[in-house]
Parts: sequence; structure tokens; C-alpha cells
Amino acid sequence: MFEKLQRMLSRVDADYADIRYEIKKAVIISFQGRDLTQIGSNSTDGYVMRVLKDGGMSSVVFTQEKDAEKAARSAEENARLISKNIKKPVTLAKTEVIKDTFVPDLKEDPRKIPMSEKLELVRRYNDIPLKHEKIGTTYIAYQEVIREKHFLNTEGTQIREDLITTRLVGEIISKDGSLTQNIRISAGGSDGFTAVRDQDKYLGKKTAIALDLLKAQPVEGGTYNCIFNPSLAGVFTHEAFGHYSEADLLENLPAMREKMKLGNKLGSEVLSVMDDPTLPGKLGFYKYDDEGVKSKPTQLMRNGILTGRMHSRRTATEFGEPVSGHCVAEDFRYPPIIRMGTIFIQPGTPSFEELLGQLGDGLYLSDAQGGETSGENFTFGAQYGYVVKGGKIDRMVRDINISGNLYKTLKDIAAVGNDLTLSRTGGCGKGPVMQLNLRSCYGAPHVLVNNLVVGGV
Amino acid sequence: MEELLQMAKKACDQAEVYSISYDDDLVLFEDARLYDINSKKQSGFSLRIIRDGKLGFAYTRNLINRQELLRNAQDSLEGKVEADYQFPSTPKPTPLKTFDPSLESLSPSDLVEECNRLCQLLIPQTDGEISAAAYTHVEKIRIINSTGTDLSMQSGEYGIYANMIFPGSGVGIGRDFLSKKFERFPQTLIQEMTELFRKSSRVVEPKSGRMKVLFMPNSMMGINWRILSGTNGKNIYLKVSPVASKIGTKIFDEKITIYDDPLNDARPKARSFDDEGVACRPLTLVQDGVLKNFFYDLNYAAKLKVPPTGSGYRTGELFMALSADPITLKPIPALPHLVIKPGKSSLTELVKQIDRGIILEGALGPHSGNIPNGDFSFGVSPGLYVEKGKIVGRVKDAMVSGNIYEPFQQVVDIGDTLYPCAVWGWVPPILCDDVNVATKN
Repeated sequence: MFEKLQRMLSRVDADYADIRYEIKKAVIISFQGRDLTQIGSNSTDGYVMRVLKDGGMSSVVFTQEKDAEKAARSAEENARLISKNIKKPVTLAKTEVIKDTFVPDLKEDPRKIPMSEKLELVRRYNDIPLKHEKIGTTYIAYQEVIREKHFLNTEGTQIREDLITTRLVGEIISKDGSLTQNIRISAGGSDGFTAVRDQDKYLGKKTAIALDLLKAQPVEGGTYNCIFNPSLAGVFTHEAFGHYSEADLLENLPAMREKMKLGNKLGSEVLSVMDDPTLPGKLGFYKYDDEGVKSKPTQLMRNGILTGRMHSRRTATEFGEPVSGHCVAEDFRYPPIIRMGTIFIQPGTPSFEELLGQLGDGLYLSDAQGGETSGENFTFGAQYGYVVKGGKIDRMVRDINISGNLYKTLKDIAAVGNDLTLSRTGGCGKGPVMQLNLRSCYGAPHVLVNNLVVGGV
Repeated sequence: MEELLQMAKKACDQAEVYSISYDDDLVLFEDARLYDINSKKQSGFSLRIIRDGKLGFAYTRNLINRQELLRNAQDSLEGKVEADYQFPSTPKPTPLKTFDPSLESLSPSDLVEECNRLCQLLIPQTDGEISAAAYTHVEKIRIINSTGTDLSMQSGEYGIYANMIFPGSGVGIGRDFLSKKFERFPQTLIQEMTELFRKSSRVVEPKSGRMKVLFMPNSMMGINWRILSGTNGKNIYLKVSPVASKIGTKIFDEKITIYDDPLNDARPKARSFDDEGVACRPLTLVQDGVLKNFFYDLNYAAKLKVPPTGSGYRTGELFMALSADPITLKPIPALPHLVIKPGKSSLTELVKQIDRGIILEGALGPHSGNIPNGDFSFGVSPGLYVEKGKIVGRVKDAMVSGNIYEPFQQVVDIGDTLYPCAVWGWVPPILCDDVNVATKN
């Protein structure tokens, strides 16, 4: 394969070029209520070529080998067009030339598990909620995505890496009269089929929450002090801070760039945030990004002060900061963009009980239900929560959505617990052409945040 | 494709081959300067087979090994996914004007020129950054099945977008313009953007409460999702739609009429058949506030023993639709041509009717919350605050929330202009009364 890719690259007239060929193998088994709606194993493949010429950089995606020549010409032409119109020529930061083949260690290779066994496992999980009268329906899917990546550039880097993701996702919908409530299912990882085994207790717990929500009261809209559980605090970190540590989102927003200068104090003393795609066995793991840069941990914030940023080779030069290995694509249909690997709030010392005591009166909110960032504003939902009175967990509440401002909220983090947990599934959408990162991993301990706007329904 | 169909017909009771190819060019401007150009040329094939009432499904990028593709589909039959439907026998429909040949000669360089022109017009109006993008998308679809159906179409779309960003916030006022061919970004949209931007430069901190909310088209994606969740044949079958038993009853204010308009080829991406070869037709979901119809693909129509509505598309749910790879997806009920009927008032007239309220220019978190139930809770992104019919500034850190079956019962007025709404459809601005707005105060 590399010889073929080498031939394609050799025909490109450019200062720099790279090509990524990927075979994407996908297995899906999905149930909608009692009905099995999809089962199958398939593979697709395609190429992404990037060309840098005279300071202009462009990319082209193609799925048929015969289009390689045409793709190269179109990438060259577009790069020339950019070079004539761009504010500042693009220069790629220097990186190590790498020749490597990396296949991750799996606890259990999903490719070796028969489809019938996978089907029975998913059916068993799906039956857990459906046993209950007030569970209206379910959507439970097993997804297996294997990216077999071949990366080659004109600097001599040649990398073969496999990314293997297994996940169990979906939702449980409870129903009582015209009221419906939903709880999301998310389990999985990057270390093989083991990541989706033994989830019966997890499904049982989620079913109980879905049923309890039918009796919960909607939260009253207003401003609250809140404890986030690790899942919610992880999404908060991702949405409210992580995206604006991605250099491409700031690159051409001079005013925000000024606010996000390294060394600026942005968060409270207790807040330290890291992105580390090198954590073995975690969902966000990868060895090389889709520019062929070796991944490494990046300390983004220490005690409230901005200390680092996630970069592509292009933005590292533009910002004069170190290359971080964060330029990742969803698959062969997209050029890479800057993505978080495994972002997390580093643990502090208080226990969960101590945080409850510190909160006194407020809300204890659990598990994210989608989140989004736009500029300095963010919004995300919590799947369920509890009113806290005098440091004690009281009644359950539902319909919880939180909105805030990045700069204000990071300073309102009052305490960080000692129980760091990382997410087992991802799915962050980003980009002018939306790309979904299934391996976007986030985490945190329990965290106490003051003055949050909570919208009820 | 014919060869694959013949092979598949021998191995099963029914077969369908779907193919799609598309060419895309996208130019991106950041801070009013060209930043990136992406081009894409992609194609693929998808096979559905039915044997003994069970479905087999497989796909590939390159139709090199037909045997393997068929084998993959046959293997998936083992899972016993029920398919109680027949692939349709659809005669060739009257062709729609979905493709303007001039689009093929529109180059990235032309897109760059138009974005440049647009940025130059906007620069004098703002101290903040301007982002812009323009694209062309040309796609060809062909569907053949074992009943003899052989349908094909080519469609083209040109789109351009500009956003004026409030300095230091990353949030702005943006407008999209879509067409079947190149057209200059309309002056009316430029005026609308610049006026809203200028009037909302000051940050204000109004008190929480129930007030009027003007849902602008950029904020309607999440509302559309909830309307479509309630009327989707799948959710009727699964009994999770809160309006499943409400056909013939009033669910929204009588000013609201919602319909699917696939045959209207004045707009880009019109369709005479859906992604499973069922003929498309206009379909009214809500007429004067009264629920009239649900929409179905072949699968859920068969399960509910009702006729399909030509609404089977190979797309994803919610945001997933934005990165959907059609060949890898089975059709599901979807309405890409949703329209909410416009009213008669201009934007200015709508704003004048707000004693105290928010113009919701953009909604953050449309995918958050209990969508099947119709609940929504959007962060304002941005929200413009109005008092006594005048925009007085913009609000930060506020949420607009409710259940679509409530504020849309109290519609004050509807705008006279349709705008494109991301995933999916065309909608006017809609002014609702008594909506919950939570702020820091």
C-alpha cells in the first residue's frame, strides 16, 4: 500500500504533501425496542491528500484510486489559490520523521468474536430495561469501528496505525401516560471487546434511573451552586474550556486569542486541566495523530493559569507554541482538524461527602446529555439531578440544562474532588464540515461550581 | 449495478441497489481572509436484499468485488432483521429541475471571489471578526430494484454563509443563502445582519421571567427536531410520541402550518423520489395548528400498515445527519424538505410587537434534553434583548426553555420570509408569547 501511496505523492508538485489511506471496518447491531433493526459488518475506504504550496494549504478527499491524479491537480490548484489570498503563508512546525507500525494491545480482539455472540450479548442488555412495564422503548446499539490507517508524507514519515473502538450506545425511554423520559447508555473503549462485556449491572442501574425520572419533578429555572458528577464535569471541561484550547478555533479570532494567551489567569486556583491522548487503554488513546505527529500529554491549565494549547503543525507555527499531536480526522472522508484526546480535570483532595458539605444547599447533577460551545458561551444538559439541602441529597429533579460563560464559570469552580473518572464513549461534533470524534474522551472528579444558570422547562 | 442486482435477485426474493456519487468544493474564510479549501469526490454503493421477510444489508465504496458485497448482505440475513415490505415499483417521475449545469463550471476561485466581495461589504460595519464560507455540492443518485424500478437524478446546490462576530465573544449574527446556481449574497440579508449586529453590540443583563421570544431561523433546528420526533413514523410505532393519538386535534397555535415540500424545485435538493425509490409528494403535518399526518419510510409504514409517504432517507438522527455517509445507512423516516408556512409580517414588524423579550438568533444545545417529550432548553447564542419594540442589546448566559407543545400554542405572529434551517428545512421567524427565559438576574 505504501508504494502505491508513494507513487501518488510523487506526482504532486508541492513544498509539502501528505496522504492518508484508510480502511474503515464497521460492525453494527442495533435494537429498537424488541426489534433488531440492523446487523452487519462492512468496510469502506478512501484517501485524503493535503498539499502545501507557496504558503497555501489545501486538502482533497477521494474514494477511487483512478481519481488520484485529478485530486492532486485540484489540491495544487487550490493551494495556489489560497497562497494568493491568504493573510500569512502557512508554515508547518517541524516534527520528528517517524517510521512505525502500531497495532494496539487488545484485551479481546472484537474481530475474533463471532457475530452471533455479539448479537446475543446486545439482546441480553436490551432485555434488561424492556422487562419493566414503564419502559416505553429502547435503542441499544453495539458499534465497532476499526480504522486501519496508512499515513505517508513527503518528509519521509510513514505510519501504519490501527484504532479500534467498541461501544454500546443508546437510550432507555420510560413512559407514564404522555410523559416520556430518557436516559442515555454509553459504555465502551479502545482496548477491545472486553470494554462492552459485563454491562448488565450498568444497564440495570440506568433502567432504575429512567423509571425514577418519571416521578421526579422538573427543576426550577434559576441560578444555583452545583456539584457535577465526573461524567458531567468531564463534558463541562470539554465544552466550556477544551474547545477554546483548540488553537484552530482561536487562530483567527484576535480578541479571543488575546483573552486565551498562555500565562493568563482564567480559572480558579483549584483548577488544573490536562489533555493526554497517551493514556493506554483509555478511549482517547492514539499513538500518532493524522498529521503523523506523536501524541503527548499537554498541560492546558495549572491552578487556573493557562499553560498550554492543543495544536496542529500549522497552528503551532502560527502561535509559536510546541506541536502537541492533536490533529485528528473522523475518518477518510475528512482532513484532520484539532481535537481533544483525553481531556480531564486533575483531581484535588476533598471527598464527595466533603464537597456536599461545602455545597450546603444547591443541586447535585449527573451525567451529560449533549453539550455545545459557541464562542464564549456553552450549554449542556444533565440527565438527572438531586436537590441538596444542608449537605444532604434530597429529591430527584429532571429537565436540567445549564448555560454559562467560559470566562466566568472557570473562575466559579469552588472545589475539585479526589475521584477522577474518564468517559467510556465519545461523539463530539466539530468543524465547518461536521466531523464526529467517537474517541473524544473526557473526565473529571466530582466538582463544585457556583452561580450556574440552570434552565428548567 | 445491473449485474449486482441480477446476482442478488437469484439469491433472494427482493433486491435493491442504491448508488451515490458527489463532488464538493468548500472555501472557508476566517477573519475576513481565505483560510482553507477542501474538495471531495466520493462515491459508493449500497445493497439491500430481502429473503423470507428478513433484511440483508451491505455497502462498499468501489464495486470491484460484487460477490463479496452480496455475501456480506447474505451474512447479515442471519441476524433476522424483519422486513415486511416490498421494494416499490415506481415509474419514472416527471423530472424536476434539480440541476443547473452552470454549477459545474463554478470553481473554487469563483467561490473565493464572492466570499471576498461579501467580506469587503461587511468589514466597514464591524470592529469584530467576520467568518464566511461558500460551497458547491453536486450529487448523482441511482436506485434500481427487483421490481424493475430504475430511478436516477442529479442535483446541485450552491451555498454561502457569513457571520459577523461580536468582538471577543466568538458568537455572532450569521445568515445562510442557498440556491441551485451561483447568485450574489442578497443585499437584504447583509442589511438585516448588519442592523441586528449594530443594535445588539451592548451587553445587557435583563431579569429572568416569562416573556416573548422571537425564534429566528438559525435557532429553529432544535425546534424542528422536536416537531419531527413527534411526527416520525418510527416514534409512532415505538409509542414514544406525545402526539401519537392526536391526529385531527389542535397541537399548535392555529397560525402554525407545517408541511413537507419535496417537489418544489425552486429550492435546491428537490426530490421526486426518496432514498428507497418511493415517489415523493407534498405532505402536510400540521394544518392551522391541527395535526394531520405522520411521515413514514417503507419499514415503519409496513409495521403500522399505512402507506409510505416517500420519506425514507439514508441519513442520521439529529447532528449525525451532518456527517452521515448515505451508503452506510439504512433509510429511516426523515423530512429534509420541511417547511413552516410563513406569515405576513416583516422582521421589523415582529420586533415592534415585543414589549419585553428575546430575539433568539442562535440556540446552543439543540440536541440536549428530552427530545421525544418535546422539551427544549437552549442557551442564547446570541440572544438580543428587546424592550418596547426596540432592540436594546444582547444577553449572555441566558437560557430559553419550554416544551414545543406549549409556546407554539401561543404564537403571536410569524415572519413573511423563509430562511434555510440547518438540518433541515425552511422556516420563517416565529414570535411566541410567555416563554421561560432564565438569566443570571
